[in-house]
Amino acid sequence: MRLTYSPEVEAFRAEFSAWLDANLPDEAATAVRPRSSADIPAWSQQFQCRMFDDGWLVPGYPPEFGGRNADLYEQAVFWEELGRRRITQSFNPQGLGIVSASIITFGTDEQKHRWAVPIMRAERTAALGMSEPGAGSDLAGLSTRAVLDGDRFIVNGQKVWTSGAHHADVLLAFVRTDPDAPKHKGISALIIETDTPGLVRRPFRDITRPEPDFNEVFFDDVEVPLENLVGELNDGWRVCTGSLAHEREMLWILWSQGLDRMLDDMLEQLNDGAGAGAAGDPVVLDGLGSSIMDSWALRLLGQRQLARSRRGLHVADQSLLKLLGSEAQQKLALLMLEALGPAALDRTVPPDAQSPYESDRAALSWADRYFFTFAGTISGGTSEIHRNIIAERVLGQPRG
Amino acid sequence: MEFEFTEDQLELQRAVRDVLDAEAPPELARAVADGESDGRALWDTLVGLEWPAMALPEHAGGLGYGWVELAIVLEELGRHAAPGPFVATATQFAPLVLETAGPEGAAPLLADVAAGRATGTVAVDEGAGTWDPAGVRATARRDGDDLVLSGTKHYVVDGASADEIATVVRLDGDVRVVLVPGSSVQAHEVVPIDPGVRHSTIGLDGVRVPADRLLGQADATGAVRRALEESVTAVAAVTLGACQQIFDIINAHAKERVQFGVPIGSFQAVKHKLADMYRDVERARVLVYYAALTLAEDHPDRTLAASMAKAAAGEAQRRCVQDGLQLAGGIGYTWEHDLHLFLRRAKVGELHLGSASHHRRNVARLALQSQPT
Repeated sequence: MRLTYSPEVEAFRAEFSAWLDANLPDEAATAVRPRSSADIPAWSQQFQCRMFDDGWLVPGYPPEFGGRNADLYEQAVFWEELGRRRITQSFNPQGLGIVSASIITFGTDEQKHRWAVPIMRAERTAALGMSEPGAGSDLAGLSTRAVLDGDRFIVNGQKVWTSGAHHADVLLAFVRTDPDAPKHKGISALIIETDTPGLVRRPFRDITRPEPDFNEVFFDDVEVPLENLVGELNDGWRVCTGSLAHEREMLWILWSQGLDRMLDDMLEQLNDGAGAGAAGDPVVLDGLGSSIMDSWALRLLGQRQLARSRRGLHVADQSLLKLLGSEAQQKLALLMLEALGPAALDRTVPPDAQSPYESDRAALSWADRYFFTFAGTISGGTSEIHRNIIAERVLGQPRG
Repeated sequence: MEFEFTEDQLELQRAVRDVLDAEAPPELARAVADGESDGRALWDTLVGLEWPAMALPEHAGGLGYGWVELAIVLEELGRHAAPGPFVATATQFAPLVLETAGPEGAAPLLADVAAGRATGTVAVDEGAGTWDPAGVRATARRDGDDLVLSGTKHYVVDGASADEIATVVRLDGDVRVVLVPGSSVQAHEVVPIDPGVRHSTIGLDGVRVPADRLLGQADATGAVRRALEESVTAVAAVTLGACQQIFDIINAHAKERVQFGVPIGSFQAVKHKLADMYRDVERARVLVYYAALTLAEDHPDRTLAASMAKAAAGEAQRRCVQDGLQLAGGIGYTWEHDLHLFLRRAKVGELHLGSASHHRRNVARLALQSQPT
């Protein structure tokens, strides 16, 4: 055990830091803001493209896919630098982190270059079609049907919660291709162009903002070429779990950085006298101490996972990290909301509260932040589902 | 950061566990709880294995192990609810002597400790329960070549049995540390929750010691605080071990106990409690070992890290004692079941050297102070 990274890893950090100094877009250029999680303004598109071309977009990948074969500690300091400077890796996070990653892992060479590379270079955007009205926590119970007819599928059904679909060029959609097989064994993954006839997107608002991000997506005899099948026919569950597990050693960093982002704001505001001197309230201090411990524990558990993964040990703490991270964010936002009391009634966010390079969700009012934390405890497996997973797969309790 | 044990550390963990599995089985903790053993035989065995010397510096006759290694030992002691003077001697007495007397001054004082010929403890708190040296009111005054002490100390671990008590007093207004022979004080032992960890109230009035038992040259407030960072981390590590044992017992119980025709672990109400216990134990584990690492490297974060470790261990014990005893059902409520041996060790860990809430507030204050403006 030791506290510091090796000199080689620190040299990697310095190299990336210097690259950012030289290549970060001018602040004046960032006035145009993304409208959804699949809408990348031109200035950001150019920046993401430059990151890809210089091997800094996904450092763990080989150069042809926007990386430099970085090891896990190098990837960790890459994320630390982005977090420290409040830079979002991509304004199309699911397109880059899940859709292109799934194609890189499970797709053919042709699919990688036709779909994954343009998504990574931000020339096209992508959304993820997983949940359905009847398939949320029970994702494998999805019923959107795709019937193979010669060299094309005919797709009928509906997706929901499809973030950014109204601005996305393509969907990675999970569909039922064998209704007679056990539910995990009759699913396939398809890339579907959103301008295909019969595909209709209906955006809807969530409780935190006026602009919609979620969509219902309806499929009415939508024709999808067979060549858009990712992975084997009826092997889509593997793609699905693989995509959620992709970069699984690294996912904790986003929870950790989101929590630290909130914690920094909270400390700064309390020191500035927010909440009528809440910084002197022992109840607030007690809760704040616990949130600071959550932040450290998340980072340390994540670092332990990196260390174990580098030694080739089985990594089993993803559910723990997701549970801890998402609930810690919620706990902290609620604490600050209550510490502020009536001062939190005003939802106005100061214009300089966030960096131009990070998502516009990074510095919401504390009421909106609190509500937004439920996106963390509900999506990607609810907290209840992750407790089941921990009990069954980590602790060895029987399924029931 | 490399946040996982080295091969050597894993080997030490296995070795320590093997020794304690053999020498400190639940039967020993039970015999201590029943008043049938004072745990002396275990201490003699550990002395034979040179454990008292383990974490002491080599120039003081020690083996010079680092703090991460010490935390591994402490966690295992907690996992076995082992009795004995190791914790107070190695993590309270020795650090305070080292911090106040300095490495060279401490060497002759710790030689007997390293050899297992003497045990020690510290006397700091006077009833406030915060172990804050600023709150010390007990005094020493010079009388010829002697010091004469006055005051009362509370919650002194092994206060009725330790050979030497490093006692924090005020001398001419300064916070100072005086080595007081255990035989010279009036110790009143409280009826213990866990008979393997005994606290005493110590009466100092009229205690007379030679003036050369005064450690160091200057005010020791900072030295006491630094030493207590080690003591606090140590109790957190012991508490972590007790929590891990409670968790292991209950996790196994939930797989074996059948009701309504199925193991109770198949019920979500049980699963979710187990998942929360696991989360809190792992959260405490990484914070305890982070604190150990900052002590090992004498990193500036050690003050923050020690409080985080103690608070996280406190939160873990709260969860594990509460939900562990509940999930064990009636059998865990019986004297015959081993569970209570570990519940006691875990609960005692929370109740001394500052509560979880005290340390959480300390963490918050430190973070607010260090926030860049």
